[in-house]
Amino acid sequence: MKASWVLLQNGNATGNATNATAGGVARPPSAPLADSIAGMLGLDGVVGAIVGGLIGAFIIANVMMATTAVAGPWAKRKITAAFTDRIAVNRVGPFGLLIIVADAVRLLSKELIVPDGVDRPAWDIAPIVIPFSALLGFAVIPFGSGLQLADPETGLVFAFAAASIASLGVVMAGYASNNKYSLLGGLRAIASNIAYEIPLIVTAASVVIFAGTLQMSEIVAVQQQTLIEIGGVAIPQWFAFVNPFAFALFILANLAEIGRNPFDIPEAPTEIVAGFQTEYSSVYFVLLYLGEFIHIFLGGALAAALFLGGPSGPVLPGFVWFYIKMWAFFLFTQWARSAVPRLRVDQFLDAGWKGMLVLSFANLVLTAILVGVIV
Amino acid sequence: MNQWIAVGALGVVAVGIPLGMMAASSMLRPTVPEQGKSAIYESGEVPTGTARVQFNIQYYMVALLFVIFDVETVLIFPWTVIYRPALEEGVPLVTLLAPMLVFIGILVVGLVWAWRNGAVEWVASPRALKEKTES
Repeated sequence: MKASWVLLQNGNATGNATNATAGGVARPPSAPLADSIAGMLGLDGVVGAIVGGLIGAFIIANVMMATTAVAGPWAKRKITAAFTDRIAVNRVGPFGLLIIVADAVRLLSKELIVPDGVDRPAWDIAPIVIPFSALLGFAVIPFGSGLQLADPETGLVFAFAAASIASLGVVMAGYASNNKYSLLGGLRAIASNIAYEIPLIVTAASVVIFAGTLQMSEIVAVQQQTLIEIGGVAIPQWFAFVNPFAFALFILANLAEIGRNPFDIPEAPTEIVAGFQTEYSSVYFVLLYLGEFIHIFLGGALAAALFLGGPSGPVLPGFVWFYIKMWAFFLFTQWARSAVPRLRVDQFLDAGWKGMLVLSFANLVLTAILVGVIV
Repeated sequence: MNQWIAVGALGVVAVGIPLGMMAASSMLRPTVPEQGKSAIYESGEVPTGTARVQFNIQYYMVALLFVIFDVETVLIFPWTVIYRPALEEGVPLVTLLAPMLVFIGILVVGLVWAWRNGAVEWVASPRALKEKTES
């Protein structure tokens, strides 16, 4: 552990140095959010770090909660309704937007029914673990415009590590519920997470080969360089343009990782009712549902930061572009939900272990050879 | 160091928000205990037995396979980070690439072995096979 840590840090130091000298990366001089807040308050040292960190964390967490609140009760319904030629929520407020408030109050004021024979501490902790894991991943996401809470040198690995804690919450929910549907849903969720996690991370590793660093701000900065120029328009070196194959693999593995169609076998409403959330009601259900939606946005944020140039884009400020990219991924998941049939569980695992895994390793090796040839 | 304090702060906030929502809900919601309400859901039938049952061994096999490949990804990451900087500093390609190719090659051999052994094949129970009506 210690040795690998040192190796990562050393590798990173050389990576930064060479990138700065060879590429001439134009990197905006923006400090992480926690540091700039501490600077604004005139605090320094450990106190400044803690206060700045807490305020920054509060901002990031609330931005994501607000996004999820719009996505869950409103945007999801509207998008699905548009696909199925309906109108959906339009009664409360403009475009039915106030349904968010109504739904929040409605769900929070429902009775919490504790079913017979649930495994009590685990059943109660699972709804905390799932949103926790998804929110924690946002600590290192570079939203642009200085909105990045922290920028550690191992940022990318941290984001994946934080996102995978959700598997633990899901298996806790599934196993503690004392319900056969929940058990099956929990097991399926674990099987899908572990089958598609390796393709996801190995594909991300192919981006790291290009970028030569794990630091999120550096990965984004490398993508600002020009790939080619067509008619005076500079096409930036977004990794989705450099390696579209890896991008497609990443998006597919991401869909499986966040459990959306065509890979939504953990929930599979027509097979196992609601999977691991069958026995949850009231605020516990809200938290599980919320956690899943934050997870979708975390998947979108990772895809945007790794492959779509992060906050870069013309005219609009960086944060807006990053936000648009995250929403684009959300729209894509909802499109897939409406348009693509679900895989059967055995087909799903086959596709993961025999297809995606092999393809992702092929992608890694080919990327390494390609980089070796062009550098 | 400084960075991880901010990450830890987000961890605190990410636990605090769910706890706050739970507290708000516990002040709002009614509690009307009633027999039958707390029965677990089994498509409306009276639930039979416990949910702690034997399940498909496939999940175990896949988890074992995952452990191997997860350790492998952990070992690949340091290599990916130093790969390009080392190339730019003039380390020959073969020196950098060959060991990793051998490493991945060994794992691919392992995957092929597991594949041929049927470790990633979905195991259907004899009963499910017997009662299968479609082909």
